[in-house]
Amino acid sequence: MPHIISRTPRMAQSGRPSCLPAGKNTASSVTRVIVKTPGKQEDFMIADDTSVRQFKEKLSAHFKCQVDQLVLVFMGRLLKDHDILSQRGILDGHTIHLVIKSKHSSRSLAHSSRKPSTDEPCHQDKNTKGNSSGVHQPAGANHSPVESAVSAEPGVPRMHTQGLEVLSLERIAQILENPGIQQLLSNTDFMRRLISEHPDMQQLMQPNPEVSHIFDDSDVLWQTLELARNLAVIQEILQIQQPAQNLEHPSDPQSHVGSETTRGEDKALSQNSADFNDQMLSSSHDPFGGNLFTALLGGQVPEPVQSSPPSPPPPQEWQEQLPQLPTARVIYASSRDLSSTASASATPSKANQTSRANTAASSTYGWSHTCDVEQLTGSPALPSIELTQQPQAEDKDATTSLDSSDQKLEDDLRLLDEQTGSQIAGSMTQVLLNNPSLAAQMMLCMSMPQLSEQWRQQLPALPQQTQLSDMLTALANPKTSQAILQIEQGLQLLATEAPVLLPWVAPYLWGLGWLPAPSCSYPDTVPGAWDVPDMEEPKGPESCHKSGTVLQSLQSRDGDPSHLLQAPEIRFSKQMESLHAMGFGNHQANLQALIATEGDTSAAVHKLRRSQGS
Amino acid sequence: MEPPNLYPVKLYVYDLSKGLARRLSPIMLGKQLEGIWHTSIVVHKDEFFFGSGGISSCPPGGTLLGPPDSVVDVGSTEVTEEIFLEYLSSLGESLFRGEAYNLFEHNCNTFSNEVAQFLTGRKIPSYITDLPSEVLSTPFGQALRPFLDSIQIQPPGGSTVGRPNGQS
Repeated sequence: MPHIISRTPRMAQSGRPSCLPAGKNTASSVTRVIVKTPGKQEDFMIADDTSVRQFKEKLSAHFKCQVDQLVLVFMGRLLKDHDILSQRGILDGHTIHLVIKSKHSSRSLAHSSRKPSTDEPCHQDKNTKGNSSGVHQPAGANHSPVESAVSAEPGVPRMHTQGLEVLSLERIAQILENPGIQQLLSNTDFMRRLISEHPDMQQLMQPNPEVSHIFDDSDVLWQTLELARNLAVIQEILQIQQPAQNLEHPSDPQSHVGSETTRGEDKALSQNSADFNDQMLSSSHDPFGGNLFTALLGGQVPEPVQSSPPSPPPPQEWQEQLPQLPTARVIYASSRDLSSTASASATPSKANQTSRANTAASSTYGWSHTCDVEQLTGSPALPSIELTQQPQAEDKDATTSLDSSDQKLEDDLRLLDEQTGSQIAGSMTQVLLNNPSLAAQMMLCMSMPQLSEQWRQQLPALPQQTQLSDMLTALANPKTSQAILQIEQGLQLLATEAPVLLPWVAPYLWGLGWLPAPSCSYPDTVPGAWDVPDMEEPKGPESCHKSGTVLQSLQSRDGDPSHLLQAPEIRFSKQMESLHAMGFGNHQANLQALIATEGDTSAAVHKLRRSQGS
Repeated sequence: MEPPNLYPVKLYVYDLSKGLARRLSPIMLGKQLEGIWHTSIVVHKDEFFFGSGGISSCPPGGTLLGPPDSVVDVGSTEVTEEIFLEYLSSLGESLFRGEAYNLFEHNCNTFSNEVAQFLTGRKIPSYITDLPSEVLSTPFGQALRPFLDSIQIQPPGGSTVGRPNGQS
């Protein structure tokens, strides 16, 4: 009987390359086989004609287990005891896999619930996963159905979440197309601040300081934002996101293309998303609720019943509920958030129900109005940092350019999901409340594209924190938003039915006693120079007071547009004076430059210098 | 003796970048990558994969990644489900713990390769297992290595295999 030698150092023995021995050979050549068990592998020297049984006996002695526990697998084939190793084609250097069965039979998968009936008989004598030590057969059968039920349950919420995610993600994609949001995203500095200030972000950054490095690199951030603006890329990312919760994420400074995802990013995002996804799934609150943007989206969907949840509690409540978001997710969420505000804004003006007259409606209404205005009218958005003035400006523009906007608003409305919009608005409100400059900047950015420099110059100093807080609080008042909406709706209707009557709105405003009665003039689509900043908005939480302010602003708008409708000369008269003072004597050239730069004196100066120098 | 049952073994291949790698790798890496591959083994009507959460299983195509981008036929095996699960449990406790996950050295494809060899004796296609070295051979990959090393992937949708009570 050939004996089996185990564990000798590797010797290149058994020179026989290939052919199988015919039965027992005279020469007892030894074959080195590798026995691989999970976690380790060892070499064994065996004679060619060793039977599997003998081999197993050897192995059992070596691995300190019973022969019956051993399972040998070679090339996917189970080795039977009576086989001869060499007959199975096991040659020198081949690997045989070994599985040592645990003493108490085998286990079943947690999700094998889908085939409980077929498994039941086979598993009668098996333990379930939940029980591996010492429990014997009878328990196995009992546990299987329980396990099946349990395992089925996680699948359900997961599916549900999946469904929600899919819906919202598509809509997010659509929302991101909003040019206003695109503009906002292009402001790197703002985005950086916004993201950094977000409480969840800060929570994330505290234990992970390296995350903040992402924002320090403006290049990286810019690329991320580039990515965010590129809808096509985002769509791809969204698809990734669905399975792996990927988000655009700053890649690396070397990337020349706007931060498209690299493999590393994917993995990072997957990780982040995976983490987040776990949190989501485990969150008892609405599964996607932690996601800022869906909350916002949902809030705008028309609801028959106008609920008026108290505004202060929700922000805090949502703050607590929001799980820790990974970096990229927050970035994305913020982007989406902003983008969703844009289209969300469309709804208030359109939907009668609009609103969950709640923070979401009011906040997003205010914020996104500028965006919406651009979107609707293409006219310069309102410069006002003051949120109260925004709605009315939006009113103004909306009324005057409803036709194109109507359709768009309808579309936007349909886009929105039925989540709690207030949630995102709550968190965003917090962020803005804490950072009035950030809020101001956001307003700036959102209206930047059309507005350009002109009103920027005229922007007042950033409102004091208290002012902004008051404004936001006022906005959060559900009645406030209701009032604004009603006004807007009324103006819209009026504009549709009888645009010519719009100027006559003014008298009604005067009637409220809030407004002086300037010379009446045609409302104009271009708000243009914004003198309202001079109008100090009286502080006060009452909605009617707020409406008054809105109307007041509206009225002032009435006065301005006429002014603006006049020649650019008059519009830019101040800038013209400045240019003259600087020594640019060519009136026409100055005017042209100012028109080109839309009233930006310094830009016009550059322009003039260039043209003069050339 | 009755012929042993043969169970088909398939390799599900997912492109985590959903086509982005193919488009952008020439620019970013300087070489063409067809995809960022995540793989899993499908046998006994179950999909098995390795991630930062350890070895997981789910119904085929049941992760959030959705259906695979391609399916490779690895072969067939006589290994029964019972034996296979034992094997996976041992792996999950030894070589493929969740914390052992490393994006470059010890990832889902490492696992798939290991399991494929156990089940059929054959390895998975080399373009999948060569991916980490491909990336690391570029200056881009080298530069990002510390960052990439920290990345962990765990496609959602699976349940952990291995420990009886589900802990990893």
